[in-house]
This record gives sequence, structure tokens and C-alpha cells, in this order.
Amino acid sequence: MPLEKELVLFETKKAELLQTHEGKFALIHGDEFIGAFDTAENAYDEGVKKFGKEPFLVKRISPDPEVYRNQAFMLGLMNARI
Amino acid sequence: MPVFDFFHWDKDKGYTLAETGAILQVTVGIPPALEQLCLRDGIAIPAPITGYALIDTGASASAVHEQIFTDFGVQPIDHIPMSTPHTKDKFSFVYPAKIQFPGLNLSNDAFLSTMRVVGCELKWTTFDNKEIIMLMGRDILKWFLMVYNGVQSDVTLAY
Repeated sequence: MPLEKELVLFETKKAELLQTHEGKFALIHGDEFIGAFDTAENAYDEGVKKFGKEPFLVKRISPDPEVYRNQAFMLGLMNARI
Repeated sequence: MPVFDFFHWDKDKGYTLAETGAILQVTVGIPPALEQLCLRDGIAIPAPITGYALIDTGASASAVHEQIFTDFGVQPIDHIPMSTPHTKDKFSFVYPAKIQFPGLNLSNDAFLSTMRVVGCELKWTTFDNKEIIMLMGRDILKWFLMVYNGVQSDVTLAY
């Protein structure tokens, strides 16, 4: 799966990152933490500059995990005709 | 405050808002940073995909049909859980995208230059042949005042 290594590293470093960079976006490539950025866009731009089209992780440093919530979509109701 | 009006009407079907939901035209392209990389390397920039976005106040974030990113060759940048009482342990990839709404003639659209969007299997065509490729969630709607006028089959967005 893409980003597997990066996600493991993020979880390993999460407590430390929360103390130093809470609210920012972490840029991780492979098993290397590149840095923390104010916006996801800045982190992404730096990732492309350094790694081109290779996969890298841009993840919000937050105690609460980012979750995608969409009840209608999950229930298959987006295009239902009753 | 710029105001944009989306009247939902079809010459054969009449008022269509209740059938299609609130939709507006959208263009999905690769992020500017990747465009620059393509230009530098002499690679053709993939043409943006145009379709329709369904305004979805029930969605915490915006989602785009995932195959578009596969076709673009854009890698995911995150992997996050999806929450619903009916699904557990499901995850989705997050992708970077340049999202533009041609009907929203915004002079200051910096907040849309490179967005994080969820990749989902969601493409479908409305009964009046409009191809839905995106759900416009609350991460974008937070910038707008929206009026849903069911009686007049009309949606107004003010920025």
C-alpha cells in the first residue's frame, strides 16, 4: 500500500510532533521526517520540489485524527430515487 | 460580497433541483507544483477534467472520483479513516488537487489553489446527463453563504 512506511513513522513520532508542531502539517518521505509546515500546500510544494512524483505523506499534526464523515455517501443515498 | 446564482432547470424536465441536488460545474486538475514539475521536465500537463460537483452539506470534506487521480498519475498524500455508523475500518486516500469552479468567478481563490480532497468511487450521471465527479463538502462551503431555494429550483452562493 502507498504511504505505509510514512504512516508508521508518523504514528511513531506523533507524540513528539504534537509537542513541537501541533496544528502544522508533517512532510514525511520513506522513513525520513522532512519537516513541519504551516499549510498542507507548503508541505506538498516542498515534497514535489524534493521528491518529484514519488509518494510522500502530508499529514496534519493533531491529537484528533482527521476523519472523512459523509453519512449519505456511505449509505449509498447520493443518487437514490424513492 | 459576490453572489452566484445556479438555476436548476432543463428544457425537457423543467425544475431539476430536487432530482439532481445542488450542482455546479467544477474543473479538477493537477496541483500547480506538479504542473511546474511537468513544465521543467518537458512532460505534457494532463488536461483538467470538467464535470459537476454536488454540494453535500453532510460531508466533512470534499471528495473527487478517485480514478481521475490515477489517470493523472498523481500520488496520494494521506490515508484517513471514513466514519459512518454502518462502516468500520474503512480508509480512503487523500489527494492534492487544483479545484476550480468556472461558475464562481472569484477574484481571490487562493484557498482553492491546492486542496486536499478524498478519493472515492462516486462518479455518476444525473438524469439530465450531467456527470458528477465531486462532492463539495463543508471544507469549501465554510467560505460561502448558501441559499437553497427548493420552490424556485435555485441555489445561491455568496462568497
